[in-house]
Amino acid sequence: MHPGFLNHLLLISQCELKRTFATRSGLLSIVTFAVVWGVILLYPLRFSADLLVQEKGLMQGFSFLDVIGFGSIQQWPIPEFGLFWHFALLLFPLLSITLAADQTCSDRERGTLRFIVVRSSRDRVFFGRFAGVMVIQALLISATALSTLALVLYRDAALFSSALPDLLVVTTNLILAVLPFTAMMAALSATVKSARQATVWAILIWIFLAAIIGGFAYYLPTLAFLKLLVPGYQLSALAALSGWQTLQLAYVPLLQSLILLALGRWIMARQTL
Amino acid sequence: MNSPMIHCQQLTHVYSGKVALSNVSFELDAGEPVGLVGPNGAGKTTLLSVLSGFLRPTSGTVRLFGQPPGATQLIGKVSALPQVARLDPSFTIIEQLVFYARLQGFTTQQAALEASRVLEEVSLTEVTHEKPPALSHGMAKRVAIAQALIGKPALILLDEPTAGLDPVNVRTVRAIIAERSPATTFIISSHDLAELDRLCKHILLLENGILQPETIDLNEEQSAIRYMTLQMETGPAREVIAEFQALEGVLQVTNPQKNEFIVAYDPERQPHMDLQLMQCITRQHWHYRQLSHGKTLEEKLFFKD
Repeated sequence: MHPGFLNHLLLISQCELKRTFATRSGLLSIVTFAVVWGVILLYPLRFSADLLVQEKGLMQGFSFLDVIGFGSIQQWPIPEFGLFWHFALLLFPLLSITLAADQTCSDRERGTLRFIVVRSSRDRVFFGRFAGVMVIQALLISATALSTLALVLYRDAALFSSALPDLLVVTTNLILAVLPFTAMMAALSATVKSARQATVWAILIWIFLAAIIGGFAYYLPTLAFLKLLVPGYQLSALAALSGWQTLQLAYVPLLQSLILLALGRWIMARQTL
Repeated sequence: MNSPMIHCQQLTHVYSGKVALSNVSFELDAGEPVGLVGPNGAGKTTLLSVLSGFLRPTSGTVRLFGQPPGATQLIGKVSALPQVARLDPSFTIIEQLVFYARLQGFTTQQAALEASRVLEEVSLTEVTHEKPPALSHGMAKRVAIAQALIGKPALILLDEPTAGLDPVNVRTVRAIIAERSPATTFIISSHDLAELDRLCKHILLLENGILQPETIDLNEEQSAIRYMTLQMETGPAREVIAEFQALEGVLQVTNPQKNEFIVAYDPERQPHMDLQLMQCITRQHWHYRQLSHGKTLEEKLFFKD
């Protein structure tokens, strides 16, 4: 009996997890990320949160944060999560572009994909790798959210019950936010020859797509809906929301991911291995 | 009615404006190893890549066991040794072979046993826990052969399996192929005609992307004219040709290379030509190196009458 689609999806994504968490190069990347995140958490995030807590009474009516566009931070009952939300909305999509860049390209160039595809299928490899990278990012997002929770509890352990919903909100939203970026990298990785090329193309496509569609929408407002095609389009609107309101825009990354995955699958099916 | 193991119909592949395969049509049934030969750039690797599902043909139909290449129904049934393919440098050899076996449906425990078994088959148990960059070219090739042997595939496509291997390992590969045939059908692309001559009963000849009309049958027993190939140690060519030409049943004697003679004869007039040639050599006090039935594959393919 042939192993099923889900069985292969699990095996291939497990292999990606092993590559990240059980190989020397993978662990080095994780340690680097942990150090960078540790610095962000202990310095800008902690200091800003302390400042917000101390100044909360003084900020009634007018705030410097409103001026610089971070006014929504004040709507978060726990400022650490408001700050984490803003940092993470910038950090994780950028991380996704690098972390998810090598889903299939270097294996295809090396010929390793041939050994896998002959006993699986292109679809299974494509979706298995995508699922693996998504699980890795979900774990990293969860770890950073949990470290933020630890910071909150260190300040005031009584905040545990009110912090839990925030933890779930940010984790869910961030996973949704990186979904289209990962799908875009899956499609690019199926096309180009190296992870570096995939990253460069992602940045170029992202900038030009946003600029071109922005330009069209400026002169022809009826085309403004095309902005929905730009991964991360919802992020600026998302930053202005707080709590469960943030899920109002969940349809945008889900729709983008579906389109990008369909495109990536089409490319993968036609690519020479 | 049983469908053939491989069915190719009007298969064409155009790569960057160059025709790599042109209207290739053939059918093969399961059985003895089949050789795929042709000069560099003839389209051998392209054909094997299409059959393995690595490459989509520009046009035409391909079916393996009635399925298109790359179909999930072929998992575990078809395996391949690609010409250029390296293992993932991040994982050890055993980890990767176990992963491949798991993809073929083995349980974790069975997969570990199977991975060790195929490594043993190619005499590479000592590299089990090495990573691919630590292997020599020959070792990497043997590991690539090992992965093709996982499970019990009915069809194994081998692209240059012995290129870069030392003579001892060439023997090992030959022994593996001989042992597994005909339960497993091998399609072997190679430039080593002597190797194919030993292993294969049928040959597919590709030239400039075109499959030559007749598949070459290496079995000459039914032919009206038979051949013997003789490699001499000593013996002046002109005298050898003259002496052999005078023997009963000999139709033609040619000297394609230094010290090599091909004797065409009528088996009805002289069924024991080998004995007659030996007696002649002894009478003349010549020394020979090798006497074999039939023409060499090289002669059959590239120096037809």
